[in-house]
Amino acid sequence: MKKLLFMLGCLILLLPNIHAQSRPVTGTVTDEDGKPLAGATVQVNGTKTTVTTDDQGRFSIEAVKGQTLKISFVGDQPMEILVGNKTVYSVQLKAQAGNMNEVVITGYTAEKKKDLTGAVSVVKMSEIQNIPDGNPVKALQGRVPGMTVTSDGSLNGAVTVRMRGQTTLNISSDPLYIIDGIPTQRGLQEINQDDVESIQVLKDASAATIYGSRAAAGVVIVTTKSGKNGVKHIDFDASTSLQLYTTKIHVLNTEQHAKAYWQAVVNDDRFGPNVSNPYDPSVTNGIFTYDWNHDYTNPVLNKINIPEYIDAAHTMKASNTNWFNEVSHPSILQQYNLSLSNGTANGTSFLSVSYRDDQGIIKKTRSQKVTVRANLDYNFFNGRLKVGEDLTGSYFKDAQLPIGDIVSLSIIENPVIPVHTVDGGWGGPVAGMDDRHNPVRLIYDNDQNNNNFARVLSSTYAQLELLPGLRFKTAFDVDYAGDYYRSLLKPYQSGFLSSTITQVGTSFDYQGSLTWQNLLTYDVRFHQHSLNLLAGQEYIDNHNQNFNGSAQGLALADINYAYLSEGTSNILVNGGGEADALLSYFGKANYSYQDKYLLSATLRRDGSSKFGSNNRYAYFPAASLGWRISQEKFMLGTAKVLSDLKLRASWGQTGNQSIPAYATYSLYQSIYATDLTWGQSAGSAYDINGAGTGTLPSGFTSTQTGNPDLKWETTTQTNVGIDFGFFNNALTGAADAYVKKTTNILLNPPYLGVLGEGGNEWINGASLENKGIELSLSYTKSLSRDLTLTVSGNIAHNALKITYLPNDAIIGYPGNGTTYTIIGHSPNTYFGWVAQGIFKTEDEVNNSATQPGKGLGRIRYADLNNDGVVDNNDQEYIGKADPDFTYGLNTTIRFKDFDFAFFFQGVKGGLVSNGFKYLTDFTSQAPGSNWGSRVLSAWTPENPGSNIPALTMTNNNNEGRSSTYYLESGSYLKLRNVELGYNLKNALSRYKFYKARIYVQAANLLRFKSKSFTGPDPEIPGSAYPIPLIATLGVNLTF
Amino acid sequence: MKKLSIALLFLATACTKQLDKEPQGSVFTGSLQTPENTDAMVIAAYSALGNDHWSTPYTTMWAYGSVRGGDAYKGGAGTGDQPDVDAYEQFSSNRVDIGESDGTWYRLYIGVARCNTALQLIEAMDPSAYPQQTQRLAEVRFLRAHFYFILKVLFNHIPWIDETIPKPEYDTISNRSFSSDELWSKIADDFRFAADNLPVTQTQAGRVTKGAAQAYLAKTLLYQAYTQDDNNNVTGTNQTLLAQVNTLCDSVINSGQYSLFADFADNFLSQFDNGPESVFAIQFSKADQTPEGRVDAGAGLDYPMDAEYGCCGFHQPSYDLVNAFQTGSDGLPLLDTYNGSNVAGAGDFKTSTFDPRLDHTVAIPGHPYKYQHNLIFQSAYCRDPATYNGFMSLKEVVAYNDPTFVKYPPFMSSSKNWQVIRYADVLLMKAEALIEMGQQDLALPLINQVRTRAAASTALLTQPDGSATSNYGMTTYQPGVNCTWTQDYARKALRFERRLEFAMEGYHFFDLVRWGVAADVINTYFATEKGRTPHLGSAHFTKNRDEYLPIPQNQINYSKGLYKQNPGW
Repeated sequence: MKKLLFMLGCLILLLPNIHAQSRPVTGTVTDEDGKPLAGATVQVNGTKTTVTTDDQGRFSIEAVKGQTLKISFVGDQPMEILVGNKTVYSVQLKAQAGNMNEVVITGYTAEKKKDLTGAVSVVKMSEIQNIPDGNPVKALQGRVPGMTVTSDGSLNGAVTVRMRGQTTLNISSDPLYIIDGIPTQRGLQEINQDDVESIQVLKDASAATIYGSRAAAGVVIVTTKSGKNGVKHIDFDASTSLQLYTTKIHVLNTEQHAKAYWQAVVNDDRFGPNVSNPYDPSVTNGIFTYDWNHDYTNPVLNKINIPEYIDAAHTMKASNTNWFNEVSHPSILQQYNLSLSNGTANGTSFLSVSYRDDQGIIKKTRSQKVTVRANLDYNFFNGRLKVGEDLTGSYFKDAQLPIGDIVSLSIIENPVIPVHTVDGGWGGPVAGMDDRHNPVRLIYDNDQNNNNFARVLSSTYAQLELLPGLRFKTAFDVDYAGDYYRSLLKPYQSGFLSSTITQVGTSFDYQGSLTWQNLLTYDVRFHQHSLNLLAGQEYIDNHNQNFNGSAQGLALADINYAYLSEGTSNILVNGGGEADALLSYFGKANYSYQDKYLLSATLRRDGSSKFGSNNRYAYFPAASLGWRISQEKFMLGTAKVLSDLKLRASWGQTGNQSIPAYATYSLYQSIYATDLTWGQSAGSAYDINGAGTGTLPSGFTSTQTGNPDLKWETTTQTNVGIDFGFFNNALTGAADAYVKKTTNILLNPPYLGVLGEGGNEWINGASLENKGIELSLSYTKSLSRDLTLTVSGNIAHNALKITYLPNDAIIGYPGNGTTYTIIGHSPNTYFGWVAQGIFKTEDEVNNSATQPGKGLGRIRYADLNNDGVVDNNDQEYIGKADPDFTYGLNTTIRFKDFDFAFFFQGVKGGLVSNGFKYLTDFTSQAPGSNWGSRVLSAWTPENPGSNIPALTMTNNNNEGRSSTYYLESGSYLKLRNVELGYNLKNALSRYKFYKARIYVQAANLLRFKSKSFTGPDPEIPGSAYPIPLIATLGVNLTF
Repeated sequence: MKKLSIALLFLATACTKQLDKEPQGSVFTGSLQTPENTDAMVIAAYSALGNDHWSTPYTTMWAYGSVRGGDAYKGGAGTGDQPDVDAYEQFSSNRVDIGESDGTWYRLYIGVARCNTALQLIEAMDPSAYPQQTQRLAEVRFLRAHFYFILKVLFNHIPWIDETIPKPEYDTISNRSFSSDELWSKIADDFRFAADNLPVTQTQAGRVTKGAAQAYLAKTLLYQAYTQDDNNNVTGTNQTLLAQVNTLCDSVINSGQYSLFADFADNFLSQFDNGPESVFAIQFSKADQTPEGRVDAGAGLDYPMDAEYGCCGFHQPSYDLVNAFQTGSDGLPLLDTYNGSNVAGAGDFKTSTFDPRLDHTVAIPGHPYKYQHNLIFQSAYCRDPATYNGFMSLKEVVAYNDPTFVKYPPFMSSSKNWQVIRYADVLLMKAEALIEMGQQDLALPLINQVRTRAAASTALLTQPDGSATSNYGMTTYQPGVNCTWTQDYARKALRFERRLEFAMEGYHFFDLVRWGVAADVINTYFATEKGRTPHLGSAHFTKNRDEYLPIPQNQINYSKGLYKQNPGW
């Protein structure tokens, strides 16, 4: 009976293919490591007979002798076997970098890679799977040609992504992210990396135009995992990492600091500004006294006297604090991920939960993340209707420490200050020092403050096949992210710094986005013509609201007590909101003839609420062509060598509307007051009654000038490319060249002062041009049965320049607005003086141009206009930050059960402004701070070879000015990632593992930089949170 | 399929409206045109008076008037701390692209713009619905003139924008559309309208009065009376204007509303806010539902570096200023020889005699800080005594236990009012006008009135043991007894008196420029002071240039060259 039913099932399924001679053919499909491949597709060539392999990689299919079975699996090279007399076959698939049948998601639909006509990069997820960055985008640095990713080491810190240079001049040059079809500009930090099935990057206009608005800076498409028909898996990944701070600046210890101070004061009296009237041969900074020979011709320091206590009250012992060590620690990062997937013909499910706990290398900078995901789909009516849901929720708990302050304070805090006073209080500055906080106190006094963030990202969709090839899909997406932050500000006493304020702050905000998409697709094939049509409509509603309150006078400085209701004074509330919407219609047609000639055309019409009703809508067209030369008959002769060759060309336009929601309106706001600690009050309240206190009458403040004529910013991109494969696609690659021009750039330029506040007005105006080339190559070679080598690399060059700026905007960019304007230059160009070394002899000083503050040991600036005076008119463009090339190189070696991979990433060319140099090379620019150890080798008459300016306590020569002295090579090469894995499957063959692998991995292990860069890390010059070295031990298990 | 089309069509029409998103939490200009909102915009204009900050201190004017006038050093942590003010102090390193100059320009024009918006609203009101129309016009024109006055003394050639000019035409108004003299007249017109239309007293103490307007008009005309050529040289005095100054001061004096405080100290103690000497003061407040209070943020750097305060040691009296308080055995200031020996550097305030105003103005090591017997000032409380000196300023600060004191870490200040014009200024303006009109004998009692009060202001100047803090000794000018009261002598005495009376109040540099003596006085100051402190090594005042700040390069650029740079820059 069972057999009968089975037969019946087969009959129904295989009705059109029944042949008298057909018989079951069975087999096993494994990957190149010999692991069974579940979910591989086995098809009888030329028929619709298709099955997928089960958990053990087994399949059973009805076939006739002489037919060909085609076995394929995503990411692997498909294989064909001829059905002969055998009925059992074992098939081993090889991973294939240049797999032309790989499915690529491009704009609401999927295409095969061979049919692509745009510039699309596919990220190999296997390469980045175990990188513990906590943000999949960070792992892409150097992996995608033309895409640069920059971030510092901070936990959940901002990541800047630039695709093919900088596309616009206003705030947002970030790409658009499409996560399971949901457009968002939030980036990927809230997505569990282990859930990601694939990442694709759309770089040119023909690929991106379908996303129209917001796609000008490129599109990153992320597809998360889903269950597969016939596959039941449990995946478990765990890793533990040790993180280390390896890029500290060398700062002075107490003795060195005291010596540098003495040297500076003696220099000033000896040949500096006080040479005619030596000011203070006794030299003291209030703490140190010096035993020296008082001889200005040959000053000799015999001894530095450091008192036992640095304060008059004798609470702080003179110390030798290494503030870096006090604020940082080697820390642990743990990640766990558990996922379950299941699938039947009626539907699939994928569930995952992940936990990540990053302790950070700055003490107490902990970040904890939990994500859950449920991707479900259901098939009805023989698969004609598919209903599904992709849902993810994430929760982050992040410590809120003033990280920038803590890291920079660990450089500038005086080493003589103790961390604690003798009675356990906080050490702090005393007279003669800067008013800088004890960074350890900042850590511990903020330890109780955590931000709580949650995001729900959900896409619910239904897809109905109306007619064969004609499908309608509707999707409703909800993306809500919110923060809750409650903070406690504690009173403190730390040196002469103190506060008696106990304050609670509470803030809530949410950012919501609702998206409704409706798509109609029609796929048809007749003879050698293939046509795919898409028509769609999309409505996006973004809205956010926030409120925050604070109150002082809490009875207890305890976070469990610190709620707004407990505040008794200075009770403040604030809140605001914003909303915008986009409405779009789009269509796309892909046509191919004989799989050789490919044509694609796209048109999108976007409307944005941010523009006035007259300019609300804009059209964004695109078209592309492809020619698969390798399919031509005349290429048959070379097919053994040149296995694939395609030429591509595309042109298209995309838009940008990244401006505040209400830029078209002139607005006044009732601003009662603003924080005046660091900036001027913009408030409108006044104590007109002269009472000195109480609620004040207030008015309105102009906040912006509206521009009702604002319109879309447009980026037009032309791309030509070539895809190639040699030796049966063992060597594959792609090369692209592009020109990207952005016009009508939305700008908010600085404005004439007489307009007062609210003179800021958004305008359309500037134009920008990016030109570049990109090359990627990948080579896979099996050197023996046990040894496989894969090397892939990419390199990209991009040149950026501003081609037009309205007069009103020119002065907002480096230059003087008249003889030097930024037009024709990159916006990332430095403007300033040319430092020509330092004056080393009196002759040099006397025979140089007039330069206020010049003298022995001082920086000599070039008199560029040769008028005998170094002044404001002697500035020019002194370098640019944009690198010449960015590149990445990944190598994977598989040997038996071992796999080994290492990835280098680098940047060549471009100058960075070394933001720490004012501390590492000068005592005069932050005289009350600690300094870097380079000051110890500064110029003196006895050390004539040095090019570090003589130490001085007065900055008469204005050496902090923008000059070439601060510009250093930004080139670097980093060993981003190295990983050694071992496949335990054979070792643990007793257990039923589908996959078992342990690995060790190190991130940021090696760093090569130019000698001319004197700071710690040219990747993040002057940045706060260092990029740590991360050593990881992890395991990937699949049951 | 049909259903689908209908659904899409529905979507399309429904969603067109969805692209209309109204601004949240904002109002449009039109909705401001009610009596209540018009009055609210007047408050917003007042608010701009006190919206300054240590980075653009246009209230206390310490960076522009005291530091540039040789009354004070910048202070703080070396010359690199607030380097823009260091450039002001050195003059030689001042530049056209100094951020603080641009910031101050902008902040003051915010005040002007708020006034112009308020004036447009007031003028558009129907007087029957808005009976206070004329008085509000007068108040706001006073405020506008105040902002322009500061702009004028800082930058000299400034664009004049009033409420009749539509915003799109602002970029057609040059800073040379009016001559320097015409600009003074424009400012005077505003003050004159205010003086003619304001009541003598206001129930709300923060509102400006007729007396304030008359005094400020007198001040404006006094500046205008010293005529300047195109290179900032003073070429003479306009006797007609001086006569008007005299008359206006008389109106204030005879109004019966004002008098000198019995003790000089009361001008700088919060409990005497809006007292009889206060002619025009900026109102500050705390516990007023703003984050830090509406405090005198321009003075936020001016507190000492000890545990009770903790930041930031700026605005330090120069040796030159401290020496100026020394008096001779005749009880008069040492008009010509005060700086010959550096008594301040020696730290000896017991051997010579001193004007009591010294200890109201300067925090001196070993002397109580702000009259507090439990806080004896130390030079270590200065941020960087090795670069500057061991003194700090006292007038703009309060005791740490004063009810108006506010800490907003790392800074601090107070809600004590700041007097822009006090009655002593009215007396000395009148005296100055009389002297320049050759009526120095009439000026003598005015100067002596100020000196008499100063001499009597010693009650608070004691050490914890009750002894006098310094050795005080000063008298009035007594022709034939201790002086010969000629015009020249009277002029010298008046100018010295102004320096002592208003020291550290941000007046001195502007007085020097008005009198046409800035280059001489300041370069003389540098020549001596250089030997006493290491930070003035390259300081130099360039005559015919440094009398005014350069027009900020940004503004010249934004105006596309319509604005013309000041001479010498």
